[in-house]
Amino acid sequence: MTEEKEKNKYTKYEKARIIGARALQIAMGAPVLIETEELDPINIAIAEFEKSVIPITVRRSKD
Amino acid sequence: MELKIVAGEKEEVTEELKKVGLEEGIAERIKEDFLPAELTVTLEDLLEVPIEGAYAEDIILMLGREEKGEVKLGDIELKVNKSELSDRIKEELKKKLKAVRTKLTREKLDDIMERVVERYEKAKVEPREAVGIVAAQSIGEPGTQMTMRTFHYAGVGAIYITLGLPRIIEIVDARKKLSTPTMKIKLLEEYVIERNKAEELAMEIEETHIRDIGKIEVSAADMSVWLSLNEKRLEERYIKREEVEEKIRGIGTDVLVEVMEDRKLRIQRKKQSYHELLRLEEKVSNTLVKGIEGIRRVLVRREPTEGYVLYTEGSELKKVLRIEGVDSTRTTTNNIAEIAEILGIEAARNAIIEEMMSTLEEQGLDVDARHITLIADAMTMDGEVKQIGRHGIAGGKASVLSRAAFEVTVDNLLEAAIYGEKDELRGVTENVIVGQPIKLGTGAVELVMGE
Repeated sequence: MTEEKEKNKYTKYEKARIIGARALQIAMGAPVLIETEELDPINIAIAEFEKSVIPITVRRSKD
Repeated sequence: MELKIVAGEKEEVTEELKKVGLEEGIAERIKEDFLPAELTVTLEDLLEVPIEGAYAEDIILMLGREEKGEVKLGDIELKVNKSELSDRIKEELKKKLKAVRTKLTREKLDDIMERVVERYEKAKVEPREAVGIVAAQSIGEPGTQMTMRTFHYAGVGAIYITLGLPRIIEIVDARKKLSTPTMKIKLLEEYVIERNKAEELAMEIEETHIRDIGKIEVSAADMSVWLSLNEKRLEERYIKREEVEEKIRGIGTDVLVEVMEDRKLRIQRKKQSYHELLRLEEKVSNTLVKGIEGIRRVLVRREPTEGYVLYTEGSELKKVLRIEGVDSTRTTTNNIAEIAEILGIEAARNAIIEEMMSTLEEQGLDVDARHITLIADAMTMDGEVKQIGRHGIAGGKASVLSRAAFEVTVDNLLEAAIYGEKDELRGVTENVIVGQPIKLGTGAVELVMGE
């Protein structure tokens, strides 16, 4: 249930941006934060997102 | 770049045609081509606003084959209340579930609940979604399917109503003068049941001029206007001779009315001249004897569910609502400007939604009410009904670049330069032009490193 809540914390747009930004970092050589068989940076980023280990969040402005 | 050129060319055609002075029909046609663009300009910057909506309808279908089983009323209440649906959907769902209670098993109930919630979640709009564009396209596209370039009339009896794309344009343009204004007048108790009463009321509303009830002749020999009233017409319209005489005297203090032996009326004016005589004739002919000026025709119809209802050609909401026997709470007009003036802006907003929905529906098009609601909101949010035009909501959109992108690029930029205008780069168009991410969807998300 908590995992479910975590997933719903972001909108689809936020999710896309976070995964995109993280995939770019990984592609440029950043250390991967999870154990995974994946090679494609985007898939790695998705896996990281699902485990919510990506050190990126979103700022939601008031307007 | 390409977009600018295309838009510019189209505009030139419009101006050109106007100069040449071609018929309105062609301007109307260009207007039709412009509708999606106008909607887009107006709504493109709108985003987000999570709105709810779900489809409870298919649950009954989902029941599929009949099964034996019975779920307690309490269980349904509990299950539905626990879910994260909106209150209105909860109520509807409860009602529907209770109706088929005898065919439900517990598992089936769970299954239904799960699927309804899923559909509900799907129907939600996520924050930062570009709802404006979606709404604009959702009206623009059906517009291409509608009976184009023709006035399409569908009769209610013999009263004509503008339908299809021309009607949509009329609404979106917030026109004050409609091509076919019409009212649907609902009646109070006894008028609903009795045909006589309804007809009498109809005559109370339909405008009757003297020219409609008698023959007018001008006699230069004795410098007077002769009026012979048609007995049958008078009776039809419940008008007494004395009333007519009264009205004629009301034209002016120096008007003399004499009843002759053959019941003809002789009308004279003290000041006698040939010119004066002709004017008198015109005045007499246009004198309103009964009814409301502007309501050219009233039709009495018996609706299967509502009883007698009046349909009119012409619209005068304010005056009609005052008439005794008219149900002022359910009487409507298709003139939105009138509704805004008399019943207020919220009523006007509802009228826009209602009129657009019924126009689309009549054409067999199914557009989600939320798109239309957005358009209605955009038009009415300032407290008055504003039109959606080529430059967005009138006076609403100021950006130099977006104006330049839409039409006559150079003129707009030059004008802006002369007045030293600034562009805040808030909208979509402006940001696309300067090559920045737009503030919609993913472009609106601001990332922060670290927790």
